[in-house]
Amino acid sequence: MADQTCGGQKTEKATLTGLVIKPIWATFVQTMRDTFAGRPNTVLYPKERLVLPDRYRGKHVLSFTRCIGCSQCVDICPNECMFMKKIEDPVLGKIERPGVDYARCLFCGLCVDICPTDAILETAEYELSSYDRDGMKYQPEDIRNDNYQVKEPKASVVLPSLDLDKCKGRGECAKVCPVRCITMAEVEKTGRKKPEIDLAACTSCGKCAEACPEKALEMKSRLIVMFERPLPKFTLASCTGCSLCMKGCPADAIYMMEMPGTEKKKADGTMTKAKKRAVFVLEKCVGCSRCARACKFKSIEMVPESQYKGGAGR
Amino acid sequence: MDLFAISYGISKFIMDIVDFIFSGILGLIPEPVGPFFTGIGTWCASVGVVSFLAMILEALIIIIFALVNVIILIWIERKVLARVMDSRGPFYVGPLGFFQNVADGAKLFVKQIIKPAKSDKFGYQVAPIIFVASSFLILAAIPLSPGFGIKDGYGNAIPGGILFAFAVFAIAPFSILIAGWSENNKYTLIGGMRSAAQMMSYEIPMLLSVASVFLLAGSFSFEDVVNAQQDMWYAIPLFLGFLIFFICIIAEVERLPFDLPEAEAELVEGWTTEYSGMRFGFFMFTEYLRGYAGCGIATALFLGGWQGPSIIPDEIWFLSKAYIVFLVFIFVRAALPRIRTDQILDLGWKRLLPLAMINLVIAVALKTAGWF
Repeated sequence: MADQTCGGQKTEKATLTGLVIKPIWATFVQTMRDTFAGRPNTVLYPKERLVLPDRYRGKHVLSFTRCIGCSQCVDICPNECMFMKKIEDPVLGKIERPGVDYARCLFCGLCVDICPTDAILETAEYELSSYDRDGMKYQPEDIRNDNYQVKEPKASVVLPSLDLDKCKGRGECAKVCPVRCITMAEVEKTGRKKPEIDLAACTSCGKCAEACPEKALEMKSRLIVMFERPLPKFTLASCTGCSLCMKGCPADAIYMMEMPGTEKKKADGTMTKAKKRAVFVLEKCVGCSRCARACKFKSIEMVPESQYKGGAGR
Repeated sequence: MDLFAISYGISKFIMDIVDFIFSGILGLIPEPVGPFFTGIGTWCASVGVVSFLAMILEALIIIIFALVNVIILIWIERKVLARVMDSRGPFYVGPLGFFQNVADGAKLFVKQIIKPAKSDKFGYQVAPIIFVASSFLILAAIPLSPGFGIKDGYGNAIPGGILFAFAVFAIAPFSILIAGWSENNKYTLIGGMRSAAQMMSYEIPMLLSVASVFLLAGSFSFEDVVNAQQDMWYAIPLFLGFLIFFICIIAEVERLPFDLPEAEAELVEGWTTEYSGMRFGFFMFTEYLRGYAGCGIATALFLGGWQGPSIIPDEIWFLSKAYIVFLVFIFVRAALPRIRTDQILDLGWKRLLPLAMINLVIAVALKTAGWF
């Protein structure tokens, strides 16, 4: 028995001491140590709770004020557990906000990662059980908390954002930019120019915003989302100017511009209004592809950012 | 505390009331009915009837006391085992989970009792009765103090109580074998056979080591043996015998590491596999009752019984010693693995039997030298 080996190590000799007295003594010593110096491993759950790590992924919390209703969280959810609900809010008006079905949620946190405004976050709350399936479906109002502190805000960068309604296309910003990242590009068929900003080259100096006489440019902080976002590719030929994409855009990145020269003569001699087209301010776009879904004429197509090469409609 | 005197007083009081009702009130009815009732009343108040009632009352008190102790022991076992395993044990029912056993018992009571279709009906029914009844019988012999024990109708202790206790203790393997056979299940049969094989091995060394105690004390009665330990516990001169007895009593009450008949890891639940509901509950309960009785016998034979400074009552001395023995049982159970059937036979016949003989020689030498 003494020569038995186990995994290269010699086993204890099968003696009275090794087999009987040692285990009893070890058990006794360990128990006394645990009883008088330690605490049991068991946690009496409703009375005591484990200390959860800061990054624990539990129930979501949604800030209605920060959320722009872009529904990217719904799109990226691998289990299709999130849904958008239309709400009438007394302060915010008619809005769309996401809710979560916790019966399906796998707590992967992709919705939190993709959120462009840090509006949806995950808390350490894990008591989500319910007596029926409907109870597991949390409406936007159930997870609403506008005052929730963002523990780990995403990295942000200050960038100029353009309000195209105010812009008159004078090009002051392009002249003043120290790195020449702003170019004045003509918007097709409208006869107007709009500044196009190369965000990759921008140094966030804010001189363009100061130079703009119309205050159309504004320096705004923008979160860096670690996902490649698709950008809308616009086909002017099939655009009817219905402005559905503009209404659907949560980031106000789409503007409707008249195209002069498209007026038609009516039968009674008056002229119709000029046809409109959509103009995209891609600096503001969050890549939610709601415009592409809203468009009924297949005029907008979402293209990954890396494959995006200029394009019609800029 | 003189249990017999108390129960005699209570039964005397009850019977006096009965006597008063029969001969005092009903006896006023004119002849021939009145004298008949008077006769009944007088008979009820006679010494024989009162003593009989006192004995029944005594047995009832002893059983209830033992059951309460068993509940406490099970609770202690669950708590201590939990501490050994670094958890908490029962917690929610009652203070520190004390009434968890009561809750478990209530659960077992409402469970359906399922009989195996091809079981031996008679054996299946009778085995639990034998097991439980024989285990309760052990308690009849064990006194917690000179007063707190079963007495005959005239207040005398049972002579030869230890012999009676061991005789009754040894009935259980028989009922286990019957149960294992009648349940018609291979696991239960293996369990029953193991019980029989185990009994072969531990019974002889145990009784030999007990014989050395008889030799030193010169009596078969618990009271005499305990009184003989006034100056020194027998565990000190007969240390070897105490060790043998301790090992054998663990085997006798079927606790780890000797719970071969009920080896959860190998045989589903051993010989109790096919019993369900409160029958199984009774088996489990009775096993702890046997543990309590075993601790009591070990205390009385080797650890001085109720001997100790008289600040603390005798019964408390006895019980605290028995509880400490049970704590050692628990630690042994927590620390050691279950041994094989051939190993227990090997242990019993090759190791413990020679050692028990040596122990007997020591006892004879001590007695011959005139030290005891």
